[in-house]
This record gives sequence, structure tokens and C-alpha cells, in this order.
Amino acid sequence: MSMRKSLAVIALGAPLALVACGGGEKSEAPASTPASSQAAAPADTAGGGAAAKGSASISGKVSFDGTAPAPEKIKVSADPYCQKEHKDGLERKVVDVKDGGLKDVFVYVKSGVTGSYPAPTTPVELDQTGCMYKPHIVALQVGQPLKIVNNDETLHNIHPRPAVNPEFNIGQPRKGMESSRTFDKKEVMIPVGCDVHPWMRSYISVLDHPFFAVTDEDGKYEIKGLPPGDYEVEAVHEKLKTQDGKVTLKDGEKATLDLAYKG
Amino acid sequence: MGWRHRFSVLLVAATLALIFVGGLVTSTGSGLSVPDWPLSYGMVMPPMVGGVFFEHGHRMVASAVGFLTLVLAVWTARQEPRRGVRRLAWAALGVVIAQGVLGGLTVLFLLPTPISVTHACLAQTFFCITIALAYATSREWLSAAPARDDVASLRGAAFLATGAVFVQLLLGAVMRHIGAGLAVPDFPRMYGRWVPPPDVLERAPVLVHLSHRAGALVVLVLVARLAWRAGRAGDARLARPAWLALALVLVQIALGATTVLTAKAVLPTTAHVATGAAILGLCWLTTLRSRRLLRLPDRTAAVAVPLGDPALS
Repeated sequence: MSMRKSLAVIALGAPLALVACGGGEKSEAPASTPASSQAAAPADTAGGGAAAKGSASISGKVSFDGTAPAPEKIKVSADPYCQKEHKDGLERKVVDVKDGGLKDVFVYVKSGVTGSYPAPTTPVELDQTGCMYKPHIVALQVGQPLKIVNNDETLHNIHPRPAVNPEFNIGQPRKGMESSRTFDKKEVMIPVGCDVHPWMRSYISVLDHPFFAVTDEDGKYEIKGLPPGDYEVEAVHEKLKTQDGKVTLKDGEKATLDLAYKG
Repeated sequence: MGWRHRFSVLLVAATLALIFVGGLVTSTGSGLSVPDWPLSYGMVMPPMVGGVFFEHGHRMVASAVGFLTLVLAVWTARQEPRRGVRRLAWAALGVVIAQGVLGGLTVLFLLPTPISVTHACLAQTFFCITIALAYATSREWLSAAPARDDVASLRGAAFLATGAVFVQLLLGAVMRHIGAGLAVPDFPRMYGRWVPPPDVLERAPVLVHLSHRAGALVVLVLVARLAWRAGRAGDARLARPAWLALALVLVQIALGATTVLTAKAVLPTTAHVATGAAILGLCWLTTLRSRRLLRLPDRTAAVAVPLGDPALS
């Protein structure tokens, strides 16, 4: 091979090899598909957002009887920004109990709902703040936008691992970036993680009706706007799994349903 | 020729390092920490934090190996008189590019098992090609001619051991990428027994895991056979890599056990991947050397003698 041919091969081949192995030009765009530009809805306690058809409600307390596992100590030194945000270290209570009440339990009407409930156009927001997800439990309706926001001065990828809905993985390299996604099928407690920061964990639940809630720090929940009927209610916790209960509601009735996990 | 050989050896070493770094990506669960490809978060050089350090680090080392391969291919094309070696060098370049594309595809399609396993096995294939290129340019290859008969049937033993190790690496890659590394959680027993209970055998991950353990025994026997025969061949150039391969098989079994007993701790798990590649490389080198240094015995003469022996008639 002549010298000229050799140089030509190197000139053509080097960028190809670099691209094939991960190099290339700088690009601004993250891999996301905006689906809605509407303002985010408060999502501390995710709940039904669609027009409810009834006036009855179910409320109660989800309790935990037993000794909760010790909080997990999380090492965040892999990212200096996260380290700076958690100078005293980071702890995660997977079973978060206060006065017997269990926080972050997803409670929803599992069966008995009739009729159709169009998805709200108001997005539910999932924030990445301090290298953690807020809220920990997210719930929304099929077709309702999920707005994902990076509030950190570091990069994150958002990677849900659903069993029924399509899996996706999007990157948000800069603070202030937003992405929006919708889910086509109902599915409860889809784990969401960041592969950059493996301790980040959240759960998304998707239902075809608005009758759901997430327990607060006292373990309390309330599901409003239910029409009269016989309902099966299920509570789902990321570690403790499920508890069930049944309720029969009359028009305007405010029923109480307490559920209990044993440690 | 000498400098090109040294450069080829550098490529072999860089490829083994790349296999270790690639193993780190899976061991640390960082395979999807960079969601895009060929760029990383739209950048050539993203912040090397968390899992990005492993995934983008792997891309950087892979780019370096790709560049080394390109240089070697062009160098070989310009200087090498043997057509077969020139073709092998271009094949190496093609394989490394295909490997990069496979790596990108497995990220974009969220680590589908077939692509991830192919990526893992093509890495081993590329490693063998680099070894062949290094050996073909060595003083040993250029000066040696078949000097003695392969009385110990080393050529076949080396080829068989290499094939068995490759199949074992394939099984290991499948086990790793379907997440079956802890499908049998204890070692050396299996679910507390020396013979696994029948009900667990209905689960595919358990079957894959047990196949990998059984494969280790097959590899141990075949590499021990290779080392024994290489010792009998009376040439240190054949005996050394074969015995080293056998020693590494023992280390490898210990690393496999450690991987299970530490619930896939990052370092032993990744060392298990890289040691597997090293065993393959040594068996492959023994295969190449046995083909170069030994000739097939004259079977015609060997058959003629017994037939003419009155004691047998």
C-alpha cells in the first residue's frame, strides 16, 4: 500500500473508530421527548387528578407493627456534588415509621371502579434534588404526563424498569433540564433508578382511574370522589409488599379503612 | 518487523485491559449510566461521576484500542509481505469497529441479552485475533519451522481446550447478562446439596448457572490434559503457556467461588471475567505454537509397522 493510501485510510478510519467506540461531536440535546409543557402539579402526595364522579371517600392509616429495619447508610462519594449536598452522609429509611404510621405506601382502589376517567393534562412531577428523587412514590393516570426535572448541578439518567409499559432511559446532564413521558398501561410500583447514582430509587404507579393516594409521614391517606359501590383497596409498600381491604360505600359516605403490616 | 511485533503485543495487553474495564461496567451495574451513544450525555467528555466513570471510561479505553488497531492495520498493510497477515490485520479492524457498534447498540436498546452476550464474546474473539497478529510477527514464527513430530497429539488437545474455554466464556456471558450469577447462591454445594434438588432445575437461570459450573470442570480436565501433553512435547515454548493456563484455571475456579460467596463483589467478579480471557489467550497461543512448532507424525509408517508385525497376525 502506498503512503498516500495509508494516510487516506487513517484519515477516514480514525473518526469512524472514535465514533464506533463512543467519541464524537458535542451535542446539547438530551434524549427526551417532551409530551407536555404545562405547569407541574404538586406531587408530594400523589393523588387522583381527574374529575371524580362521586362524593364518598375512604381514609385511614397504614400502620407497621414491629421493629423497622435500621436505616441504610448510603455512600455518595462517587459524585462530589452529591457528597457536598450530604456532608453528614445520607441515610434511607426503607421502612419509615412514625408513631406506628408507615410512610410512602401506595394505596389504591384495586377493583370495583366503573366508568372511564380521562387522564388529567396537568403533569405529575418527579424531581431530582440533592441526588435523591422527590417524591419517593409517584402516582398518575394512564396518559397523564410525568414531568421529570433535574434540580441538581450534576447529571442524572432516569431509567424506569417497568414490566408492562415500555422501558426507557433518558439523560439530563444539566441543572434545570426537564423531560416528559406518559405511560400507556396501568402498572403499580414501577421501580425507577439512576444508574449514575445507584442509591436513587423511586416508584411510579400508573392507574386508569384517579382513586389512589400515598401515605404521609403519619401513615395517613385519603381517597376522595368515589361513587357508591363495593371496592377492594390495596396498599403496596416497596419492601413490605401488599395489604388488602374491602369497603362498601354509599353516596357521600366517609369510610375508614386502616391497614396494617407486621414486621 | 520487530517494532510492529512489539506494537502488536501492546495491542494484546491493551485488549486484555479493555476486557477488564468492560467487565467493570457490568459488575458495577453502570451499563446504562450513559443513556446515549456515540456521545455521552451529548458530550465527548462528560463529568466522570458515579457510573459514568465506568461506562464512559470503557468507551475511552475502547476508543484507544480501536485507534491502536487502526494503526496496526495500516502499518501491516504497508510492511507485511504475507497476504494472510495483512488480511488478519484488516479483519481485526473490522471486528473492533463492529464491537464498538455492538457496544452502542446494547446501550441504545437497554442491554438486550443477545447483543450484550455477542458484545462479550466478540471481545474474546478480537483478543484472539490480536494474539494471532502478535505471534505471526514474532521472531519465533518467522524463524521456526516444524522441527519435531506431534507425538503427544498436542495440536488437537490445544484446539479442543481453546474451543472449550470459548464455550465456557459464552456460557459465562449468558449467565452474567441474564442475571443468573447468583441463581445458585452457595458454593461448592448447590442449594445445600452436592446434587441440586430437582425442582430448582426447572428454572432457566439455575440451569445456565449450573452449566457454567459444569463447564468449569470440563475446562479443568481439558486444560490439564493440554498441560500434560505440552509437558511431554519437550519444548518449553509449548509447556509454559499450557501450564500457566492450568494454574489460571485453578485461580479462576477460586474467583468464581468468591464471586458467588461475596454476592458478586465488583473486584472478584471482574477479575473472573479478565482471567477467563487470559486462559483463552494462553490456550489459543498454545494452539498457534503447536501448529507452528510441531508437525503431524507420519501415520502411514505408524500403521504399516503393526500390520506387518507377525505377533499381531
